[in-house]
Amino acid sequence: MKLKKVHAYVFVFPSLILTLVFGIYPLLWALRYMFYDYQGFGTPIFIGLDNFGRVLRDHEFWSSVGNTGVYALGKLVVTIPMSLLLAIILNRKMKGRTFLRAVYYLPTIFSASVMAIVFFIIFNSYNGILNQLLIRYHIISEPISWLGADHAMMTTIIIAIWGAVGNYMLLFLAGLQGIPNDLYEAASLDGANEFQKLKNVTIPLLGPVMQMIIMLAITISLKGYESIMVLTEGGPYGTTEVMYLYLFKLLFPISAEAQSIQQLGYGSAVGFTTALIVGGITLIYFRISKKMNDIY
Amino acid sequence: MNHTRTNSVMSPRLSRWTGKAVLWIFLLAAALLALFPIIMVVLGSFKTNQELTGSATIWPKTWQFSNYAEAWKNANFSRFTLNSIFVSVATTVGTLLVASMSAYAVDRVQFIGKKAYSLLMASTLFISIGAVVLRPQFDLMVMLGLNRTLWGVIIILISAHATCYFILIGFFKSIPQDLDEAAMIDGCNFYSVYWRIVLPLLRPALAVAGLGAFQGSWNEYILPLVFTMSNPELQTLPVGLANLRYGIGAAAEVQLMMAGACLSILPLLVVYIFANKSFMQVTLGAVKG
Repeated sequence: MKLKKVHAYVFVFPSLILTLVFGIYPLLWALRYMFYDYQGFGTPIFIGLDNFGRVLRDHEFWSSVGNTGVYALGKLVVTIPMSLLLAIILNRKMKGRTFLRAVYYLPTIFSASVMAIVFFIIFNSYNGILNQLLIRYHIISEPISWLGADHAMMTTIIIAIWGAVGNYMLLFLAGLQGIPNDLYEAASLDGANEFQKLKNVTIPLLGPVMQMIIMLAITISLKGYESIMVLTEGGPYGTTEVMYLYLFKLLFPISAEAQSIQQLGYGSAVGFTTALIVGGITLIYFRISKKMNDIY
Repeated sequence: MNHTRTNSVMSPRLSRWTGKAVLWIFLLAAALLALFPIIMVVLGSFKTNQELTGSATIWPKTWQFSNYAEAWKNANFSRFTLNSIFVSVATTVGTLLVASMSAYAVDRVQFIGKKAYSLLMASTLFISIGAVVLRPQFDLMVMLGLNRTLWGVIIILISAHATCYFILIGFFKSIPQDLDEAAMIDGCNFYSVYWRIVLPLLRPALAVAGLGAFQGSWNEYILPLVFTMSNPELQTLPVGLANLRYGIGAAAEVQLMMAGACLSILPLLVVYIFANKSFMQVTLGAVKG
C-alpha cells in the first residue's frame, strides 16, 4: 500500500513540476516586478507603488480599457442572443440539424491570427474582396474604409462575433439538452405554444447555465487580443487598442506603433491591474445576475 | 420560430409554410455568413494576384495551382508546416501523457497533498495576468538552453494541461476500479495497469482531449511569436503567415497569403470533417470541467 503512494507521487510529479515552474513561478515573478523599475536589462530598482501611480495617470491605458469595454459589449450583445437563438432552433428535431450545427461551429476551430489575415484581405479598403463585391453589385459607390479609424472597431467586433457564435451555440445546446423532455410534453398537454414553452420552460430552466456561459463569455471577450493584434495592431490611432494588447506591447515592443522600450516592471503592474479589472467585472456580473435570479 | 398560430389572414397551412420559409432563410443566411470567409480564402488561393486585387470575382477565372507551389517553396511554408506539425504533435502527446498520469494517480490513490494538488490545478484555470508571464517563461527557457529550439514552446504548452486533466478525470469515474484489482491479481503492477488497462479504456476520452490539445497548439500564435522573434527559422504557420503581412511586397502577393492561409487551416478542416462528433465534445467536456 505504501508503495502505491510512492507510485502516485511519481505519476503526479511531471504535472506538478510543470505547473509550478511554468505556471506559478512566472506569476510570482510578475507579482514581484510590479514594484520595480525594470526594463529587462540592468539592475531592477525598487520603487514601491510608483508603477501603480503611473497606471492611474496612463491615459493610453485607460483609453484601451474603454476600447475593451466597447469591444466586449459589442461582441456580446450580438453573440449571446444569436447563439442562443441558433441553439434553440437546432435543439428541435428538424432536417439538416447536424449539418447546420457543424457549419455554425466551423469558424471556431481556426486560429484567431490566421483568420485575422483572411479578414484583412476581405476588409482591406482599396482592393479588399468585400469592397470589390459591394461596388460591383452597386451597393456602394465609394470603397468603405473598413479598417480606418471610423470603422475599425466595428470591423474587429464583426470578426469576433463570427468566431464566437458557434462556440456559445454549442454551450447553449449542451445546456438545453439538460432540460428534461417531460416538461415540454407537459406544457404541450396544457396547450402551450412554442413561444410560451420558450418563455416558461426553456429560459427559466436554462437560467443557471446561461449565467455561467455569459460569465465565461465576458471574461473571454475581455481577454481577447490575438486577432486584433494581427488585424490592426491596435490602430489606427489606437482606436482598436484593447487592454491586453496594450499590455503585450509594453512587454514586447515589436511594432512601429508601440513604444520602443521594453518595460517589464510597469508592464507587470499593468498586467495586475487588467487582471483586477477583469476579475472585478466578473464579480459584479455575478452579483447582478444572482440578484436577477431573485427577481424572477 | 415556428409560428403555428392562425390569427393572421392567411390560412393555417400557408402561415405555417411562411414560418418555415422565414426560419430557413435565417438559418441559411447565418450558414452563409459563417462559411463566407472560408469559401473566399479557399477560392482566393487559386486566383492570380491580379484577379484578387483587381476584379470582383467569386469563382476563379483560371485555377492558379502554382500559388501553392510558390507559397510552399518561396514563402517558406514547407518550413512553417514542419514546425507546426512538430509543435502540435509533441504538445498533444506530452499533454495527454502528463495529464493522464496525474489524473490516474489522483483518481486511484489516496496520498498526502492530493487536495492541495487538485486545488492548484483548478486555480491555474482561473488565474491569468496575460502576456506578463511570457517573459519569465522565456527566461526559464534561456536558462534551460531551449530558447533556440521549439521545445521551449512545446514545454510551456504542455505545462498548461489543466483543462485536459479535468476532461480526463471526468472520464476516469467511468472506468471501474475492479478492473485494476483484477489486473493486479493477474500480475500487473501500478505502471502496467496504467499502460495496458487504463489507457486503452480511456481511448475515447484521450481522443477528445487530444483533439482539443492539437487544435490549441496548432492555432497558438503569441507563444511561438515571442520565441521566434530572433529565430525566424522556427516560425510556425500562424506566425509565418502573419509576418507575410509585413514582409517586403506583401501587399503585392495576396495570392500567397491566401494559399498560406489555406495550408494552415486545411489540416484542421480535414480533421474537423472526419471527427465532427468528437470536436463537438471538446467544448462540451470543457463545460463539465
